[in-house]
Amino acid sequence: MVGLQQVIEPGTQRLLTSVFLFVALAQGWNIIGGYTGYASFGQVAFFGLGAYAAAVLMTSYHVSFWIAMPAAVLFGVAFAVAIGVPLLRLRGHYFAIATLGAAVGAQEVITNLTPITGGGGGITIPTFGAQAPTAYFGKPGFYLAFLILAAASVALATVLSRSRFGYSMVAVHQDEDAAAAMGINTTWVKVIAFGVSAAIVACAGAFYAFQQIEFYPTDVFDANFTVLMVIMVVIGGSGTVIGPLVGAVGLELLSQFLRVNLGTYNQLIFGAIIVTVVILFPQGVVNFFRDAVRTRQFSILDNVRRYRL
Amino acid sequence: MIAAPAVADATPILEVRNLSRRFGGLWALRDVSFSVPEGQIIGVIGPNGAGKSTLVNLITGHLRPTSGQVLIGGNDLTGARPWVIAHDRVARTFQIVKPFRGLTVRENVAIGAMHGHDRDHSVREALATADELLSLVGIAQHAKATPSQLNIADARRLELAKALACRPRLLLLDEVMAGLRHQEIDAAVELIHRLRESGITIVAVEHVMQAIISISDRVLVLHHGSILAEGPPRQVLADQRVVEAYLGHRYAKRSTR
Repeated sequence: MVGLQQVIEPGTQRLLTSVFLFVALAQGWNIIGGYTGYASFGQVAFFGLGAYAAAVLMTSYHVSFWIAMPAAVLFGVAFAVAIGVPLLRLRGHYFAIATLGAAVGAQEVITNLTPITGGGGGITIPTFGAQAPTAYFGKPGFYLAFLILAAASVALATVLSRSRFGYSMVAVHQDEDAAAAMGINTTWVKVIAFGVSAAIVACAGAFYAFQQIEFYPTDVFDANFTVLMVIMVVIGGSGTVIGPLVGAVGLELLSQFLRVNLGTYNQLIFGAIIVTVVILFPQGVVNFFRDAVRTRQFSILDNVRRYRL
Repeated sequence: MIAAPAVADATPILEVRNLSRRFGGLWALRDVSFSVPEGQIIGVIGPNGAGKSTLVNLITGHLRPTSGQVLIGGNDLTGARPWVIAHDRVARTFQIVKPFRGLTVRENVAIGAMHGHDRDHSVREALATADELLSLVGIAQHAKATPSQLNIADARRLELAKALACRPRLLLLDEVMAGLRHQEIDAAVELIHRLRESGITIVAVEHVMQAIISISDRVLVLHHGSILAEGPPRQVLADQRVVEAYLGHRYAKRSTR
């Protein structure tokens, strides 16, 4: 993968760059939604805030990207902690709706803080000449940047999932009362998981902002980002490291393939495929195959029956 | 058997003072006071709805009391969060078993060793601790199974192993014998005995009284949220009010109507 940016044609490069972005986003969502079991439907808030934090710092304060990016991560984490402390007391649908609301709120604030953010008119990061705080990476540069981001998010998820903290996230997911009775500070576990999840997504937002150069609140607060993160994790297999990876790579490639080859109806077919996969593998593709190999039951029909309500 | 040390000035490991909890208009527990000296087995019995589980939940921080105090080793931990209580070496089982379904039996137990008092610092150490405890409770052969593959007796043993993994000095058992057959009850009684001999103080809540009464140093009878009787098992069993609460339940209900 590394070095490939020198050889491959620009179209493929752009495709792979967006695959890497979604791998990072899916891994980020999986920490809170998959492992910890708190399905956040406002994850795009961290993406948008990360993008705007980096862009504002670079544009108005001429801060280098390498300072603006970690600052954007901290900003995302701070927002996650601020909304996480009250919202993580809610469970299930209530948490989902509350986070959705928080994301809408965040977008509104950014859109209306015109003096700082440029408001609905968007923001443009200077990338040329003496005005540019950091030289633009160019297409191959961003290919590499998003590849590293994706690899780092997979590595982080792997380390977390095997740590004591990883076990506490799973315990909180499966039974919060039992987890607390066994000495797990469930409040902390949830807030930290939400913070880590936000850090990955905000970091991706900062890179995305720099890559786009010019963008509007509606671009980086687009709810489709959240929806895609959720779908990729659920289809791939939540609560695993491989699941979001498979889901992000599979769905992003599929979506691009359909867009190129099917024209008008690509979204419809894409939707139909997602619905079919969710019906056939409600627990995610990776979880299905792991269990199938262990129990030697490969029947998809049985699987559908097992998870049917 | 260890004779319970009856030192008068020793701080009780658990002291409950005037503990009450109201749910809406119903007092699930009202003005309950008792203390548990270190090294004893206390049996808490009572008919359904007597407030037994509420009592356990109030002690372990899963519920906050409406009034009253819970002291653990002399420290006031009233209303403290469950993990604070757990870190003070108080562990519990749940009446309705609460396994982590996505984890193996072994990992379930390891969670306690990772997060309870004096925790293991690596996942590997915690898994080793878990293996020892699975042998102790007698389900080592199911280490790699998932909790859903266990029968009710083994699921209760898992619940016990999870609590022991937190390295408790005080263990609260919420109906660990419910639904077990005679042989399984004998095994559980024998296990509780061994735990006490290893130095753990035990408060055992049971609906079925015969088994627990045989190993308890003292028995507490809860009825309608209050203590109906308290004392050595033999004395409590002979108490007319206790007999009524259990055997004459239906009769008593009819006569109050």
